[in-house]
Amino acid sequence: MALSPNQPGGPIWSTGRRGAGGRARFALRYFIQLLRTHPVYAGGYVIVAVVAIFALAAPLVAPYSPITADPSVYLLPPSFSHLFGTDVTGMDVLSRVIFAPRIDLAIALVGTGLSAAIGTFLGALVGYHQDARGVPRFLSGFVMRSADVLQAFPVFVFAIALVAVFGQSIASVVFAIAFVNIPIYLRLMRSQVMNIRRMRYVEAAYVSGMPDSYIIRRHVVPNAIAPVLAQLSVNIGWSILLTAGLSFVGAGVRAPTPEWGSMIATGFPNIMTGQWWPSLFPGLALAVTVYGFGIIGASIEFMADPRRRRTLANAGGPIRDPGE
Amino acid sequence: MGTLRYIGGRLLFLVPQIFGIVLVGFLLVKAVPGDPATLMLGPMATPDSIAKLRGELGLDKPLPVQFIIYINRIAHGDFGTSWQTTQPVVEDLAVRFPATLELVSFGLLVALAIGIPLGIVSATRRHRVLARIGDFYGLVAGALPDFWLALILIYVFYSLLGWMSSPIGRIDVMLLPPRTITGFYTIDSLVEGNWPAFRSSLAHLVLPVLTLGLVNAGPILKTTQSAMERMLQADFSLYARLCGLPEKLVMRHALRNALPSIVTIVSVLYGFLIGGAVLVEIVFSWGGAGQYAVQGVLNADFNPVLGFVIFSALFSLIVYLVVDLVYLAIDPRIRQ
Repeated sequence: MALSPNQPGGPIWSTGRRGAGGRARFALRYFIQLLRTHPVYAGGYVIVAVVAIFALAAPLVAPYSPITADPSVYLLPPSFSHLFGTDVTGMDVLSRVIFAPRIDLAIALVGTGLSAAIGTFLGALVGYHQDARGVPRFLSGFVMRSADVLQAFPVFVFAIALVAVFGQSIASVVFAIAFVNIPIYLRLMRSQVMNIRRMRYVEAAYVSGMPDSYIIRRHVVPNAIAPVLAQLSVNIGWSILLTAGLSFVGAGVRAPTPEWGSMIATGFPNIMTGQWWPSLFPGLALAVTVYGFGIIGASIEFMADPRRRRTLANAGGPIRDPGE
Repeated sequence: MGTLRYIGGRLLFLVPQIFGIVLVGFLLVKAVPGDPATLMLGPMATPDSIAKLRGELGLDKPLPVQFIIYINRIAHGDFGTSWQTTQPVVEDLAVRFPATLELVSFGLLVALAIGIPLGIVSATRRHRVLARIGDFYGLVAGALPDFWLALILIYVFYSLLGWMSSPIGRIDVMLLPPRTITGFYTIDSLVEGNWPAFRSSLAHLVLPVLTLGLVNAGPILKTTQSAMERMLQADFSLYARLCGLPEKLVMRHALRNALPSIVTIVSVLYGFLIGGAVLVEIVFSWGGAGQYAVQGVLNADFNPVLGFVIFSALFSLIVYLVVDLVYLAIDPRIRQ
């Protein structure tokens, strides 16, 4: 879907000719309106905020050390002294659950951020030069065919193989996540840019003699970025799942480093014998966090949809774009 | 005639793609540290025997030559041997690929059975509660780690309630698997008329299939919902309503038009799950192809990895081809 500033309801973050201050205030008011009318969306932001705060303040919040095993209290069910119980080595599950997003979130954020930056950049270039001739055309064809090949690989096995290539470390997991996600952004940005490329205002900029780099930066990217942002949020959640999955099979973060996936793996044998707590709580934290990111993605998608924006504005009383 | 040419064109297009996949897979495997010859012979090997094996495997030749040798072998259906199972990879995959396919196919059926009805109901917005459930489920299902859900299901239905037999493998260890016809234990045992094997393999399928179904119903639900919403708001639906057609008929036309989107997401999921079901396979010790590949990577046993990657890529490409033909069948506009 192409968004153009010509439409009355263009993207809210588009840098139009309107004053930047008024623009930001409008965006903020609109955002609050959205959260008020859609409490589910607000829930997503709350979840992510809480997880992030817990991760940052983990040493202050966690009741025990996340990596100190106390063999005298192994596999205790949840109680007042250990709210989430203890695992088979005697580590406090709650403390580990609180510390885990430090690793999981960091890996997912950096990995997804890298892939989005590289994928968006390549996608914008490829999309912009889609109709070109000669070398740019050849290069963009090559990039797209490479993406085809990469996407034909089974993601999980590919990621494990990448981790194996670079040696098992957190950096390798970040790199693997970045690598497998690049094609998503590449495609997304390319299709966006190809639509926007044909817009009048881009043609006008071209005719008036603007250099390509300026047009891409000033006109194309700002109007194409909304779906990328929505994808980014969903993708962060997905990358957390991938990180946990890699750690679950032993190809990612290793115990005793607190990480949700490896914690679930540690509790795996206990599930069979009826001790559910070492696996249940990290998985629950994982699912809730991913859910939060998914909702934020949905809310961004919502905000980027001019049709829905208008219905929201009508339903929520007078909220007007100062530029209109 | 046009259809045949279309298929031919598509198949022709596959060749460079497969080549690319083999190339990337080969380079990836070569980049992994660790010498296969040393690993195969174990710690007691003498340098001489390692050098000899390296020569036999072609490991002492330059990379491009190794690649050509490899391509040549693959073209003859030789994917090498796995040093873990000491069997040819093709034979291993012939057992494991159907295992994965059985799991994934049934899982997708369950996902469809949950996702499509819920998607349709929540798209109409007539039933408030169901619509809410649909919205919520679409978001939650995508957030559930399948390996964790599998463990929870095992806990509830095996450890706690004791409704299930031991959640390990495809069939009870005391039973012989049925003779291989399709490789699907359920179908093979049914063909054989082997009821104990059929019951056991079906019972072993329940939990992993439920896991895959519950998780993957999410994307199917979301796609069905948004496609149906679009179609119900489309002019042809408005017109049908205006003409006084019964709501059931309006829905049926809308569903017919939403079908291509649903087929697309199912095909994408099918291809994805061949490798994507690996965590569920591991939890249930399923012995599937994904699990085989993951063990290969973790133990520096690379022939299975490459074999799996090529097999699954081929499978996805075949699925996509079939889907294109399905489009032709369900959307008359494409045929022109």
